[in-house]
Amino acid sequence: MAINKNSNGYIIIYTVVMVVIVGALLAFLATSLKGKQDANVLNEQKVSIMKAFGEADANFDGVVTMGRINGGEFTVVEKADQQAVFELLGNRKALGEATDNLPIFQMEKDGVVKYVLPIVGKGLWGDIWGYVSLQQTEDNIIITGIVMDHAGETPGLGAEIATAKVQDMFAGKALYDATGAFAVRMQKGGAKNEHQVDAITGGTKTCDGVNAMLETSIGKYESFLRGAEAEVEADTAAAEECTCGECCEEEIVEPINEEE
Amino acid sequence: MKLSKNFTNPLAANNPVIVQILGICSALAVTVKLEPALVMGLSVTFVTAFSNLVMSLLRNGLPSRIRIIVQLVVIATLVIVVDQFLRAYMYDVSKQLSVYVGLIITNCIVMGRVEAFALGNKPWDSFVDGVANGLGYAFILVLVAFFREFFGSGSLLGFKILGDWYTPNALMLFPPMALIIIGCIIWVHRSINKDLQEK
Repeated sequence: MAINKNSNGYIIIYTVVMVVIVGALLAFLATSLKGKQDANVLNEQKVSIMKAFGEADANFDGVVTMGRINGGEFTVVEKADQQAVFELLGNRKALGEATDNLPIFQMEKDGVVKYVLPIVGKGLWGDIWGYVSLQQTEDNIIITGIVMDHAGETPGLGAEIATAKVQDMFAGKALYDATGAFAVRMQKGGAKNEHQVDAITGGTKTCDGVNAMLETSIGKYESFLRGAEAEVEADTAAAEECTCGECCEEEIVEPINEEE
Repeated sequence: MKLSKNFTNPLAANNPVIVQILGICSALAVTVKLEPALVMGLSVTFVTAFSNLVMSLLRNGLPSRIRIIVQLVVIATLVIVVDQFLRAYMYDVSKQLSVYVGLIITNCIVMGRVEAFALGNKPWDSFVDGVANGLGYAFILVLVAFFREFFGSGSLLGFKILGDWYTPNALMLFPPMALIIIGCIIWVHRSINKDLQEK
């Protein structure tokens, strides 16, 4: 007797068998390739962080101190907990929503301390993210390097944020203007002051996303950054003026940005 | 059908992109640079070849009422296989292609060849047909990407070809230019193959 290939029973059995086979195949493939894929992602995170530090050829392990920022305080992340930090970096939604226990990377070279913060935001078509490296100066905080990537910005336009050409423009930009407001942005029509960089022609929406990303992501670290900045200032002031211990402590407690 | 004709037909005389006008959407999206266009072309070739092969093997036991669903499951599975391998072994390219790898599922060429050819032909013929159609698609993609990257960025495969004197033509980077270039290719193709011209 020939099987009726269009009977309900045949179709149900056919689909069940098909789904089981396909499901098993894909599950096997996903599990067998997962280790390799995770290693790619972890490696990319480390390379991006080192690129932001401006040390693309250096090895992440050993030279970078991983930390968390809680209420403006820096605490070192022990080796056992580092995996959780990288997982958070890979989860852009959670990273964007995080308000405390913020990941941060510290590297000291030739007496200069630099910090790298993760940044996340939205471009025109999807997520944009990256790492920005900051360094304290006497009266401000400057960007020493930035690495950005995107999920699906327009190639040749918004996607240019992932190129060195755009990223190099950020180096040396001071975060805060004379009034103490966050001032770094990609400016349509070309940079108009020393805090701004040229926006990408045809990529305005992506650049707006970059601006919002920088302001909100770096803003979350502001209490820590300002605190560190105040310390640098206080140290300088202390070296110049103070002779007693008390006034130095006062200087540290005092808010900054008063001299302009 | 002759196997050799089966192979050469989709490359020129019956090219899926410029004669059948299929798969235009991804031709617009991934042709800004040459490298993603190449990888995309090869990925589509893999998917058309193996979806044709698998569907041809299944064709005798296939319930016709659910054949479209079965085709989609087979194609989607192959696309996920490609995506997973790219993520594991060609991570950078996989990031460049991002969503477009997943969108191979919706490429009309893949399902078009399964429906029009694989369901009525032997496995080996179907496999060759899939390879040929994939390569026909890849060829047009690479041709379009060549012009767009060359004039739009002054480079090829990321290497700078034109010097600093050349101001990149940003118009080439916009999707409409891909359509215009494909239009020009169709024009040239039809003026050579006179039998394709409508009377």
